[in-house]
Amino acid sequence: MFSYVVRRILQSIPILLIVLTLVFIVVRVLPGDPAVAALGDYASKEAVNALREKMGLNAPLWRQYLQFIGDIGRGDLGTSIITGYPVAKQVAAVLPHTLLLTISAIILGYLIGVPLGISAAVRRNSFVDYFNRVFSLLGLSVPAFYLGILLILLFSIKIPLFPVVGAGEFANLKDLLRHLFLPALTLGLLMTAYITRMSRSSILNILGEDYVRTAHAKGVAENRVLYKHVLRNALIPIVALGGLYTVVLIGSSVMVEIVFSRPGLGTLLVGAIKQRDYTTLQSVMIIYTVIVVLINLLTDLIYGLVDPRIKYD
Amino acid sequence: MAVFLMVCWSAADAAQPKLAKEQILNIAFDAGDLKTLDPHQAASTNDRSAVDPVHNGLVRYPPGDQVKLEPDLATSWKVSSDKKVWTFSLRKGVYFHPFPGFPKGYELTAEDVVYSLTRAADPKRSSYAGEYTGISVEAVNPYTVKITIDKPVSEPLFLAKFASYAGGFIVSKKAIETKGDEWIKINPVGTGPFMFDSYEPRQKIVLKANPKYFRGAPILKQVVIRFMPAVASREFGLRTGELHIIEGLKEDKWAETVASFPDVVVKTFGPCESQVLHFNMAKPPFNDVRVRKAFSYAVSREEVAAFMGKGLAVPIYSPAQAPPAPGALTKEEAQKAGVIYESNIAEAKKLLAEAGYPDGLKTEVIISEMASSYQKPMIAIQAQVKKAGIDMALKVVDHSSFHSLIRDDASPIVYYASWRPNVDVFLTRFYHSDSVVKTGKKPDTNFTHYGAVDADGDGNVDSIDDLITKARWELDASKQAAIWREAQIQLLKHAAVVPIIRLKYNFPMKSYVDLGHPLEFSWATYSPQITEKTRILAK
Repeated sequence: MFSYVVRRILQSIPILLIVLTLVFIVVRVLPGDPAVAALGDYASKEAVNALREKMGLNAPLWRQYLQFIGDIGRGDLGTSIITGYPVAKQVAAVLPHTLLLTISAIILGYLIGVPLGISAAVRRNSFVDYFNRVFSLLGLSVPAFYLGILLILLFSIKIPLFPVVGAGEFANLKDLLRHLFLPALTLGLLMTAYITRMSRSSILNILGEDYVRTAHAKGVAENRVLYKHVLRNALIPIVALGGLYTVVLIGSSVMVEIVFSRPGLGTLLVGAIKQRDYTTLQSVMIIYTVIVVLINLLTDLIYGLVDPRIKYD
Repeated sequence: MAVFLMVCWSAADAAQPKLAKEQILNIAFDAGDLKTLDPHQAASTNDRSAVDPVHNGLVRYPPGDQVKLEPDLATSWKVSSDKKVWTFSLRKGVYFHPFPGFPKGYELTAEDVVYSLTRAADPKRSSYAGEYTGISVEAVNPYTVKITIDKPVSEPLFLAKFASYAGGFIVSKKAIETKGDEWIKINPVGTGPFMFDSYEPRQKIVLKANPKYFRGAPILKQVVIRFMPAVASREFGLRTGELHIIEGLKEDKWAETVASFPDVVVKTFGPCESQVLHFNMAKPPFNDVRVRKAFSYAVSREEVAAFMGKGLAVPIYSPAQAPPAPGALTKEEAQKAGVIYESNIAEAKKLLAEAGYPDGLKTEVIISEMASSYQKPMIAIQAQVKKAGIDMALKVVDHSSFHSLIRDDASPIVYYASWRPNVDVFLTRFYHSDSVVKTGKKPDTNFTHYGAVDADGDGNVDSIDDLITKARWELDASKQAAIWREAQIQLLKHAAVVPIIRLKYNFPMKSYVDLGHPLEFSWATYSPQITEKTRILAK
């Protein structure tokens, strides 16, 4: 298994390199001058040129590229070309908030989605099934930012229970959780929708298997059949596809972070695009890529844990 | 007697509004992050709002005022008879905020003033260097500074350079010499009522009260400046009371809705950005004065103003600063000079036909994504000129790209919203031949190419360069204003530009926030100015 993990990590290096190159090219193809973005339209041409020089933007592109790859190779994410603030520090400050939000949403998604999926599958074509299916369809159809706004209107404006600005402090758990609840619920409902649909179809597949029918024929109790024979097997695709949906969730977290004004990779990314902050933008893209690669690796490993038939060579 | 005094004391105390227990002011801006807190480079609204309460100038415009100047770090000043040497006496006992190595700060002296103004004149370290050309500064003694100017200018133009705005901000020499220019970009050190406390990238800047401030310790303990690009989020924060002041949309309908929320008042104020439509006179079809005049006749600035909302937009007739700035062309003056081009579609069509476009013409204009300043007014103008046969397609790009593309001379029309501190700067940067985009000696924002092309079709290049220079060195303020107006009338006679509207700033705030000054105008920040008198009252 160890050699499998090492091999997978080594395999991800070319992927990272391709992403790095693409990101480097794309951010420079975008029109817009970071120096003008930083100094504003009132700045003189001399001031803009001086800043461009300081930002290293007057160097040939190939040199900028080699510098960029070299820095990343050494684990140096550089400093923001706009504020001069170290990118690693920026990422370190916001990454825990994005992870906290995403993990909370995943937990919520599984906690709500799996029971909904089970109840829909077991009571197929009943009111419960229809209700759960409509609920999950709504979750998939309503954009995360819109859902976030609706939740704010209900739970912060009409019933003033939760704050809407920022993410709270890690030192103050109550404050942190109060700030986390609505954004996590917003993303969690999206995850719930995915998990509900997936659980339902997975359980329905298993319910039709011979061994389930046999268990019923043997007179095994309904709950025992469900939990011992059906759920165990249905869990495999739920876990596997759950990893993929986590990646989607990280994408959706960008809008949720903006709506709730939370610190996070999403707000970092959008701010960097607006300011043409090449170094920050590149680094955030790299972090996202690493996260996606890691999630895929982790999903594969968990897949092996829940399905003993899978062996890692 | 004692009882009487106690009664008087209690009565006076009762008349004072009660303060809220927590004096932490939260302001949110339409921004993703700060760009720089270096006062000699800060230009965006949110950066200026943080820079302003941290620094002072030699003189200042009192909060809320845009014309009167009063002492700030200087207590008084005198000028030589030839108006070339200005001597400023500095206030004693003014301390810079603490910074590493100087835990108690240190007293401001003439050395800091000399250092600051020399830095403001350095193009590599200042965005405003051009305004300090021909100026030298020296310390006469620790509390006296002598400023010499090669060619004298009028008092309003001269003092404006040393006001608490842009290049006029006084920075700490020791802080920059020990920590460097990069360091102060996110660690500004000044003498103002608030000190820089912390910065969380893409989240917020926190300022804290400076108890040693020379005008008295601020009432607010902290000012939190947040970066919140989503307007809905800012609005929600204001409604829940987590935010006290927010940057609003420059739209009447939105302002009306927000004003209906409990405890919210909407403040609109200047300086207003002048929105001016610039024709690229170097390329067809707008190299023909008849086409430009046709376009001018097709536009109704009153309709654009109504479309934007009467509470926020005001029609303008000046191609530079809008009134009440000294030297700005008023409606009456423009009317008298015959350069208003009142909306007249028949005249527009006639002129187009004369210019060889009897069936109208097509053009594609690059505009910024920013809705209030660019998209909305241009959508109104697009519909108006369509009636005259001008099919104007709008290509919307993001704001950074817009600035790059228009400086690359890529658009036949540039719709530009801007504010500049005086008419001289406006005329120089937008209409002087040196400032022509791409090809000028000092390429800047002359999108019309005025001064480098024949504007009226008589075979000669038309320019207002001489008028700009003449006005700059005119010492009599009223004569100077008259020359500025003459230059503006010439620009309009040649239909180089169409002044459209000025748009007020719009900042909703909680009704229990007392800024401590009237808010008609905010010189330094484009946002409500936060001073030592700003306070949060009990609800």
